[in-house]
Amino acid sequence: MAGGITFTAVESTKLAPAEIFGKTIAELGAKDPNIVCLSPDLATSTKMGDFLKVYPERFFNVGIAEQNMIGIAAGMAKAGLTPFASCFSVFASLRALDQVHTDICYQNLNVKIIGTHGGTSFGQAGSTHHAIEDIGVVRPLVNMTVIVPADGAETANAVRAAAATPGPFYIRINRGFDNVVYSTQDYGFEVGKAVEMNPGTDITIIACGSCVYQAIQAAKALDFDQKLKVRVLNMHTIKPIDKEAILKAVKETRRIITVEDHTVIGGLGSAVAEVIIESGKACAFKKLGLQDKWSPIGLHEDLMAIHEIDAQGITKNVLEVMKKDFEQDEDWGDEV
Amino acid sequence: MAEEVKITQSDLYAAGIFFYSAIPLLKVICESEPKYGDRFKGKSFVFQISALYPEAEGGKMASHFVVEDGKWTTAVGKIHENPDLEFVFPNLKKFIIFFTGKGMPLPKIRGLSKIGLLVPILMALLRMAGLMQKTDKPEKLADQIMLCKLYLYLLPSGISRLNKLGHPDVKTVTDPSPDRAYALVIEGYPELQSWVRMKAGKTMSGRGEYKRCKPFLSMKFKDPSLALDILMSKADMVDYIGNGNLFVDGAPEFGGIVGTLMFKVAYYAQGTYLDIEK
Repeated sequence: MAGGITFTAVESTKLAPAEIFGKTIAELGAKDPNIVCLSPDLATSTKMGDFLKVYPERFFNVGIAEQNMIGIAAGMAKAGLTPFASCFSVFASLRALDQVHTDICYQNLNVKIIGTHGGTSFGQAGSTHHAIEDIGVVRPLVNMTVIVPADGAETANAVRAAAATPGPFYIRINRGFDNVVYSTQDYGFEVGKAVEMNPGTDITIIACGSCVYQAIQAAKALDFDQKLKVRVLNMHTIKPIDKEAILKAVKETRRIITVEDHTVIGGLGSAVAEVIIESGKACAFKKLGLQDKWSPIGLHEDLMAIHEIDAQGITKNVLEVMKKDFEQDEDWGDEV
Repeated sequence: MAEEVKITQSDLYAAGIFFYSAIPLLKVICESEPKYGDRFKGKSFVFQISALYPEAEGGKMASHFVVEDGKWTTAVGKIHENPDLEFVFPNLKKFIIFFTGKGMPLPKIRGLSKIGLLVPILMALLRMAGLMQKTDKPEKLADQIMLCKLYLYLLPSGISRLNKLGHPDVKTVTDPSPDRAYALVIEGYPELQSWVRMKAGKTMSGRGEYKRCKPFLSMKFKDPSLALDILMSKADMVDYIGNGNLFVDGAPEFGGIVGTLMFKVAYYAQGTYLDIEK
């Protein structure tokens, strides 16, 4: 479990996840001289400024060249350093994919990639800057751990866990502020272990990133309006995924909805589906996210509503899935 | 020819519970207690309990047991045309009065000459009635376990029967219900579990662990004695939850709903309505 707080929980609720990443990496840099940071001329956008201020000699601006950044990071890791390379998620996962694949993952090097502006969070920048395939692209890479934190507190935990765990990590955070899910960092974060945010047995919503907050709001509304008891799982680690929590949800609730700010192909929903299919257990299942289409340009909140991954969209889909029949249950006799 | 008696809707609910949920417990007695079950070893016969009711198809309501080489199967709500032994009540009212213990209007017995069947059947029926009509919990653990089993198997089945008969108070709960199960569990006794499942107005009930998914709500009692305190209305449910004798696993606000439905079954099975609706 990652722990330790060098800035207060109250502060962390006022900071964007990327800003918390910047503060956390500066904190870790003080403890570990092997930590270095790399940026493709995006230190301001990716909030690495705090580290740069304190440790300028351990900060490397490689210019607008993501592939080079990954290659250099690989070399640094090979030399025993712990590089944190941060850039927009869409470029880390797509433009630099070959370097991530061959330079980092193939050699199982200790490089931590912080992909910012995840999903549609950089909504106004348009489809070229929307990272809607990144999880699906990095998830199959051998040795890669993939984390999508729900908010700032979880970002701090994920960054600490990445620093403490050898091997490649891809941590995907959003641009700007996320709704606060955790009022403290001490809630038991563990890589590969989902967190139950709301108990329930009627249906399970499995969400990651900014969709976790929306899922919690939907669960509250469904309880209030429909008396439905909705389990919400924060599946912050997409790989290795928490199979135990998924199978428990399938066994106990028999209805699953996944919610992600990502295409429904290859991301969280696909990862959950793989686990369910291998189990051989039947359940009602639906993936919410971008339905194999480009997102329009707009504010993140509006885009989440368009893609039905906001509280209202989740609520609507939960009600639909609750009505879905998936098993033969015509025999309604009583045992005698 | 059936006697002319006024049969109310409540009588029909009560009769439904007896024919479909209570009478089948005779099989439970015979299968659980060798003292009663062993008397049927090697025997094959059909035993039926019926009550004349001209409105019903066949002119009566009935449930029967088919025993083959001592192995029991139950056919609820079905008339067997040629049972070896049959208790026939002249009308539904007398049938209900007999089974609620409100009186002793004896049935006509067809097959009276088959004394080898009659005596063990009567003994098993008396064992069941003796337990079910107790007002205080038995002292012996074995009797407590048996009585718990009877209650646990009766209540979910009774709820489901009332739903199938269209009882408005039960339908209010089951009609809007998503696919949910409510379970009764006595911890440490795997056979002392039962459940009722509801989904959009449909219900089914069963015995043992509910395996389809986690029950929406489980009422878990610590032991048979404490369970009987609640099931026999000798203790306050809220107090028992408070002191840990009863653990409600699930949304606590739904515990009251289960309690209300159980009381509804008891209202008919104990014949309380006969006093109130006089």
